[in-house]
Amino acid sequence: MVGSPAHPVDLAALIAATMLPFASFLAILVVTRGRPRLSAWLSIGSVTITLACSIALLALHSGLTTPIGFSADLIGSSGLNIPFGFLLDRLNLLMIVVVSTICFLVQVYSLGYMAGDPGFSRYYAFMSLFTWAMMSLAVSANLLQLYFFWELVGLSSYLLIGFWYEKFSATQAGKKAFVMTRAGDAAFFIGILLLFIHTGDLGIVNLDSRAALAGVPPSFITLSALLIFGGIVGKSAQFPLLTWLPDAMEGPTPVSALLHSATMVAAGVYLFARLFPFFSMSAVAMSVFLAIGTISMLLASTMAMVSRDIKKVWAFSTISQLGFMIMALGAGSYFAGVFHLTTHAGFKALLFLCSGVFIHRFETNDVYELSRLGAKRMLIPMVTMVLGAAALSGLPPLSGYFSKEAVMGSLAGLPNPVWLGAGLAGVFLTAYYSFRLIFILLFPRETAVTIPVGTPSPPPQAAGIPAGAPGAWAMAVPLIVLATITVVLGFFETPLKNFIGAGMLAGGSVGGEALSWTPLAALALALAGVGLAWVEFGRKGARQIGFVDRIPILHRLFAERWYIDRFYGLLVNLVIDRGISRLCYLNDRKVIDGGIDGLCEGAVESGRVMAVLQTGMVQYRLLAIFAVLALLALYFYY
Amino acid sequence: MIAPFRDILLLAATLFALGAFCAVVRRNLIMIVLGIEIMLNAAAIVFVGASLHLNNLDGQTFVLFILAVAATEVSVGLAIIVYAFRRTGSFDPRHFNLLR
Amino acid sequence: MQMEPASFPFLSAILLSCVVGMMAIILIPEERQLLIKQVSGVFSGISLLLSLYVFFAFNRSLGGVQFVEHLNWIPSLGISYFNGVDGFSVPNILLTGIVFFTGVLTMWELKTRVKEYFALYFLLVAGVYGLFMSMDLFFIFVWYDVSLFPMYLLIAVWGTTRKEYGAMKLTLYLLAGSALILPAIIFLWAKSGLNTFSFVLLMHPGLFTPSVQKFAFLLLFLGFGILAGVWPLHTWSPDGHVAAPHGVSMVHAGVLMKIGAFGVLRVAIMLCPLGWIYWAKLMAVLAVIGIIYGALVGLRQTDLKYVIGYSSVSHMGVVGLGLSTVTVEGLNGAVFQMFAHGIMTALLFSSVGYIYDRTHTKMIPELGGLSRVVPVASAFFIVAALAGIGLPGLANFWGELVVFLAAFKVYPLFGVIAVVTLVVSALFMLRVVQKAFYGPANPRYAGLQDVTLWLGTPRIILAAVLLILGLYPSLLFNVIRTASVPFMNGLPR
Repeated sequence: MVGSPAHPVDLAALIAATMLPFASFLAILVVTRGRPRLSAWLSIGSVTITLACSIALLALHSGLTTPIGFSADLIGSSGLNIPFGFLLDRLNLLMIVVVSTICFLVQVYSLGYMAGDPGFSRYYAFMSLFTWAMMSLAVSANLLQLYFFWELVGLSSYLLIGFWYEKFSATQAGKKAFVMTRAGDAAFFIGILLLFIHTGDLGIVNLDSRAALAGVPPSFITLSALLIFGGIVGKSAQFPLLTWLPDAMEGPTPVSALLHSATMVAAGVYLFARLFPFFSMSAVAMSVFLAIGTISMLLASTMAMVSRDIKKVWAFSTISQLGFMIMALGAGSYFAGVFHLTTHAGFKALLFLCSGVFIHRFETNDVYELSRLGAKRMLIPMVTMVLGAAALSGLPPLSGYFSKEAVMGSLAGLPNPVWLGAGLAGVFLTAYYSFRLIFILLFPRETAVTIPVGTPSPPPQAAGIPAGAPGAWAMAVPLIVLATITVVLGFFETPLKNFIGAGMLAGGSVGGEALSWTPLAALALALAGVGLAWVEFGRKGARQIGFVDRIPILHRLFAERWYIDRFYGLLVNLVIDRGISRLCYLNDRKVIDGGIDGLCEGAVESGRVMAVLQTGMVQYRLLAIFAVLALLALYFYY
Repeated sequence: MIAPFRDILLLAATLFALGAFCAVVRRNLIMIVLGIEIMLNAAAIVFVGASLHLNNLDGQTFVLFILAVAATEVSVGLAIIVYAFRRTGSFDPRHFNLLR
Repeated sequence: MQMEPASFPFLSAILLSCVVGMMAIILIPEERQLLIKQVSGVFSGISLLLSLYVFFAFNRSLGGVQFVEHLNWIPSLGISYFNGVDGFSVPNILLTGIVFFTGVLTMWELKTRVKEYFALYFLLVAGVYGLFMSMDLFFIFVWYDVSLFPMYLLIAVWGTTRKEYGAMKLTLYLLAGSALILPAIIFLWAKSGLNTFSFVLLMHPGLFTPSVQKFAFLLLFLGFGILAGVWPLHTWSPDGHVAAPHGVSMVHAGVLMKIGAFGVLRVAIMLCPLGWIYWAKLMAVLAVIGIIYGALVGLRQTDLKYVIGYSSVSHMGVVGLGLSTVTVEGLNGAVFQMFAHGIMTALLFSSVGYIYDRTHTKMIPELGGLSRVVPVASAFFIVAALAGIGLPGLANFWGELVVFLAAFKVYPLFGVIAVVTLVVSALFMLRVVQKAFYGPANPRYAGLQDVTLWLGTPRIILAAVLLILGLYPSLLFNVIRTASVPFMNGLPR
C-alpha cells in the first residue's frame, strides 16, 4: 500500500464517518422499526457525525500532499490478496464533504417531506444505507472495495426508487435501475478481474501511477479502461444505458435529489476522476469517453426540451450535466470535471428539493398543472429554484457559471473543434430547457393544455402541510443552505483548483488553457437560450409552445426518448423472455424432462409388452420348451 | 436282431413328435395328458431299443420305472383334471390361467 | 496428509446426536407433538453446537485432517469406520448443522405425522453428516444411500406439488448416480491393490495410472454430478425442490446438492487428479451452460419454488466452474460458494415456507403485495434473493468473485459468460420480488400475521450468517485454504 500511514485520529474519524450510518441502518431495521421519530433522529444523528467528521478531516488535511492509507486483509483466500482499507487524498476529502453535506440536508428535508408515511423508519434506514455505501465508496482504497460499495449504492437506490412498492411503476423503475446499472457493472467487474489478473494489484494508488503499469501493453490498458467505463456508463446514466434515470423519478423526491446530486450518479463520475491518471494512459479510451459524454449530453438535452414532468426535466438535465463532466474529464481536464461535479451536486439537489416542495404541496408533477395551481406564490422554493436553474444554465455569478466555463475551457483546448461546438450547443439547450420550465411556472396560462403527461407521484400521507407546521422549516432550511452554496461556491474556484489540482495522484493535466473567446461565447449562448425560452414561454401572449413542439416528428422522437427504451423493452421481451429463455424452458420441459420421462415410460411400457408373453397357458410353455430343445438340437448337431 | 436300431429310433421319434403335437395343439386337458403319455412311451421305446443295441439291461429296468411313474402320473393328473372339471366345468386349458 | 487424532470423538458425537435424536423421537408417543418438536430442536441444537465447535476448534495453521477417529470394521476387505475433517469438509459440517437446526425450527408448525417426519429427517441428516466426515470410500457410499432413502418418503408423504412424481424422479436420478459411483469405487479399490477403502491411503499420488484415473473420474463426476445438479442432469432438482416440504427443501437444496459437489471434490478430484485435469474442460463447459441455462429457465417460472430451484442450478454451476479451473482459487471459491449457496437457498425456502403456510399458494401471480402485510417475512426472502444475485455484503458475492477470478485466468470466455449471467439472474430474482412482494396489498391476505420472533429465529440465524460472511469472508476462506493449498501443491503436473 502506497501512502503514508494513517494517524489514529484520522482513522477514528474515518471509521466514525463511514461506519455510523451502517450502524444506524442496522439499528433502525432491527430495533426501532416501529418508532419512526426515533429512527429518523438516529439516522440524522449519524449523518451529522459523518458530516462533522468529514469536515474535520478536510480541515485537518487541507495541505495534504501524499495520500493516507490504511488497510487490512479481509478475504483471506490465498491467491486473492486484496486488502480492504481507506485511502484519503484531496479528491475524496472533497467528495466525502460533498456527499455528507447533501445526505445531511436531504435527510433533514425528508423530515418534512416524508412525515406521516407508513414506511418512515424504513425510509431512514435505507437513507443510512445509502450514506454508508456512498461514503465508503469515496474512501475505498482499491477497485474491488470500490466495486463492493458501488453495488451497494446500486442496491440502496433500488430500494429507495421502489420505496413506494405498492405502485407498479415504482417497483418497475427500481428494478430497471438496478438491472441496467448491473449491465454496466458486469463490464466493470470483468474489467476489475482482468486488471487484477494482469497486474496483481487493484490499489487505486498503484493503478494511477504510470510506473506501476509500465510493463502492461497499451492495448490491454485500453481494453480494461473501456470495460471499467462500462460501469460508469451504467451508474452515471450515459448513452446507451441512460433510460433508467428518468424512470427513477418514481421514488420520493428527496431520494431523487440525493440520487442525482451526490450519490448514485455522482459515483460514476467520481470513479472516472479517481482513475483519471489510469484512464488518461489510453488516448483511444479517452476519445471514446469524450464521444459518449457528448452523445449523452445532447440526447438528454433534447429529451428535456419536451418533457412536461418537472422531475423528468431535471432528470434529463442531470444526464446532460453528467455528460458535461465526462466530456471535461475525457478532454483531459481533471479539475473541470471534478469542479462541475461539486457545483452540480449543490444546484441539482437544490432544484430537486424545490420541485419536491411543489409536488408535496400540489400533488402533481406536471409543470403546467403546477403553474396553474400557483406554484409561483411559494416564495422560498420559487426563488431558490430560479437560482438553481440559473446555475444550471451557467449564468454568472452562480456556481454553475464557473464550472461550466471550466468545462468549456477544457473542450476548447482540444484540437478538434467539434467537441467545443457540441458543448456550446449543450450550453444553449440547457439554458433553454431550464428556463422553459421556469417561465412556465412563473407565468401561468389558464389556456395551457392540461393533459397530464407525467404520472403524479403518489400522495404522501401528510400531503400539503400548511406553512408553519413542524415540517415546513425542515424543508425550507435545506433549500436556503443549498441556495447559499450555489451562490458562493463559484467564487471558490481558485482555492478549489489549487486544492484539487495539487492533490492529483500522478499524471494528467490540471486543465486546458481556455481560448479567450470561449467564456464569452458560452455566456452569450446561455443568454440566447434564456432569451428563446422567454420569447416562447415568458413574454406576454407567448403560447408556451416550444419550437420543438411545432415539429411533430421531432417532438415524438424526443418524447419517446429516441426510442432507446422501446429498444430495451423489445430486447428483454422478445429476445430474452420469448426467445432464448423460452427455448431453454422448452428444452428443459420437452427435451430433457421429456426424454427422461420417455425413458421411464418406455421401461414401464416394455415391461407391459413382455408381460403379455406371460399368458398362463400350459401349452404355450410346452411349445416353447420344444422349440428351444429343437433349436438346441440343431445347434449341437451342426 | 430283427429291426435295425435306426428304425427303432425313427419310430420313437415319430411317436414323440405325434405326442408333442397332441400335447401342444389339442385344447383338451385329457388329450394333453394322453400326448404326454405317448411321449413318455416313445422315450421308453428308445430305452428298450438301446438296451438291445448295447446289450445292457439297464435300459429295460428304466422302462419298468417309466411305466410305474407314468401310471402314477396319469392317475394324479387325471384326478386333478376331474377336480378341475368339477370346479369349472371345462377341459379347456385356456381357462386355467389363474396363476398368470 | 497430516492427521490429528481427536481428543474426544466430536464427529461421532455429531452423528450420535442425530441417531439418538431419532431414537428418542421414535420412543415418544405420536400425540405429544410439541414434545417431539422440542426433542428435535434440542438434539439438532446439540449437533449445531458440536459443528460450531468443530468449525472454530479446527486448527487453521495446522491444516490436514483433524478430529480423526479410526476403527477397523471389516479388515479383510479394508473397510474401516474412519472419520476426520479437513478444510473442505469443515465448512460443510457447519453448513449441515445450521441448515439442520433451522430446518427443524422452520417445520415447527407441522401438524401431520410429526413423529415420522422428524424421525426420517434426522436419519436424512445423519447420512449427510456421515458423508461429509467420512474418510472411508465405502462409508461415503453407504452414507450417500442413507441420505437417499428418507428423501423419497419425506417428499412422497409430506410433499405438495406433484409429490409422487418429484419423489420418484429424485430417487431414480440419485440411484442412477449411485449406480455410477459404486462401480467406480470398487474399480479404484481393485486397481489400488492395497485392499483398503481408506481415503487417506488411496490418495497416495501415483497410485493409479492416468488411464484408470480418467475412467474413474468420469464415472465419479457424473455420479456425484447428478446430485450436484450438473447440466443436463439437473431436472430432478427443481422438481424435487418444489415437491418437498419446506424443511426438506432446505436440506435438499442447501445440503444435499452440496453432497454432490463435495463428492466430486473429495472422491473424484482428490483421488483422480489426473482425470480431473483431463476432463476439466468438459466440467467447465457443463458448468457454464448450467449457470446461464438455470438463470434463463428461471426467468419463465411462475412457481416460487421452481424459481429457487432453477437459481440453484445456476449457482451450483458456479461451484462446478470453480472446481473445473484446477486452481487454488477455484477450489476456495467453489467451497465458499457451496456454503454460501446452502445458507442462501435454505433462507429462501424457509421464507417461502412461512408464506406458503399462510397463503396456501406459491404461485407468483396469486401472491403480490406481501410486503405490506408481512413485511418481516418478506424482508427475509428479499435478503436471500439479493444474496442470490451476488450482492456485495452478503456471502455469495465472495464465492462468485473468487470463482470468476479463477475462471478468468483459465477460461476467459466462460468467465465473461458467467459474469454476464449476473445480469440475467438479477433480472429474474428482482422480477420475482416485484411480483410476489411488491404491488398493492392483496385483500385475500389482509389478515395474515407477520413472523413472530420465535418463528423468525431460523430465518434470523440464516440471514445473520449471510451477512457475517459477507462482511468477513476470511472466516471461511482461512479454513478452506488449509486444504486447497496443500492439495494443489501436491498435484502432479
